[in-house]
Amino acid sequence: MIQKKVCMVGVFGTGKTSLVQQYVHTKFTDKYHSTVGVKIDRKVVNVDGTDITLVLWDLAGRDPQQDVGSSYLKGAHGVIYVGDGTRRETVSELDDLLRVATAAAGPVPSVTAINKIDLTEQWALTPEDYQALVKRGGLFRTSAKTGEGVEAMFLQLARFLTVPKAGA
Amino acid sequence: MSAIFSGGIDVFGLSDVGRKRTRNEDHFVIATLRKEILLRQSNLADTSVFDAARGVEAQLLAVADGVGGQAGGDVASRTAVTALVGYLNTTMTCFNNLDVDAEHEFLEKLEAGVHAAHQQVRDAHGRDSRPPATTLTMITLLWPRAYVVHVGDSRAMYLHNGWLRPLTRDQTMGEAMVDAGAMTEEQAARSSLSQTLYSALGAQDMLPSVGLVDFAAGDVLLMCSDGLTKHVNDTRISEVLSQPWTAEMMTKTLVQDALEGGGSDNVTVIVARMIG
Repeated sequence: MIQKKVCMVGVFGTGKTSLVQQYVHTKFTDKYHSTVGVKIDRKVVNVDGTDITLVLWDLAGRDPQQDVGSSYLKGAHGVIYVGDGTRRETVSELDDLLRVATAAAGPVPSVTAINKIDLTEQWALTPEDYQALVKRGGLFRTSAKTGEGVEAMFLQLARFLTVPKAGA
Repeated sequence: MSAIFSGGIDVFGLSDVGRKRTRNEDHFVIATLRKEILLRQSNLADTSVFDAARGVEAQLLAVADGVGGQAGGDVASRTAVTALVGYLNTTMTCFNNLDVDAEHEFLEKLEAGVHAAHQQVRDAHGRDSRPPATTLTMITLLWPRAYVVHVGDSRAMYLHNGWLRPLTRDQTMGEAMVDAGAMTEEQAARSSLSQTLYSALGAQDMLPSVGLVDFAAGDVLLMCSDGLTKHVNDTRISEVLSQPWTAEMMTKTLVQDALEGGGSDNVTVIVARMIG
């Protein structure tokens, strides 16, 4: 079966692990556990009749003590950038994280998740922030807690990963 | 004596029955996985091809803590470790130049080894009225990357820049209750649920968690059964792992601390110092 390495990238506490847990195990916990290194899960997804295995590399988030591990990003077929809609600074860093991931993995397909839409009363993004995110393309508003937008986001990336390269 | 592996890894392991138990149900293994072509003799003008085929090796570190059953937890942990090594011996082919596909294949084989060990314990004792089970925490170190496959509550953690970081989370009912918001960590710690595994080799459910981490020179890895962490807290563990000691000294000190703290359970410790 076709396997695709997908890296989850973002600032700490944005919900990368929770998104994977919701997608793979249909589970959510409010309890926060910081990821150390990389946690790996797999999920088989069917795209237009073809099964592919997403190998999900849930990378430790960027924090003041450590950057995203570029060694973990090498060989990635796709990237999911995750920001927390209630913490504007986590979204502001997505452009820089894109630069880091592109340097390590090349210009691979990606989607962006603005997570925690279940906390709309705490939403911190301005309409201008949102417009800038829309320009990136592949934008999804997700809630790892309720599952909203989660399946659609992973499926969209899987679709991007199965598009034949030009000239192939 | 500590073993110094290629890549500069100083590693030592020790298991002790403790002060309350009569039987040691823990097992551990420290082994080198090596695939190489070693030139003995040739009339080839250029033998440089053999240089690339020499000396690439991985270190296998595993701790298993058997629990209960008619046959005894020691049988489960021994069966699991033996089966794991046997499986890896027959399936591992190469560690050279792991690209993304080869790395995923490598990881799958490590996981398959754990599943094979689980099946072997089930085949041997699954029909017992009280089948035994075992934890298994396995780290395969292909410098600088460490691949972690974990089942149960034997822990792996490492010291990096003075900061002790967990590489595993206990697969206990207590942890599950905390995750579900049904208990606080303090309540779970006081509850017998913190001693009850929801996932183990040989048990009904076996749910390996998989991860990896890249080590740096100076990092110190610890793997242990819960006989250590019942008596030695993280602060003390950090203190010991921060000392300018050999892996053997660190291991013996931690085991001694557990015994002096009560030694209520079997205690097994592996320490690996990444010299780089």
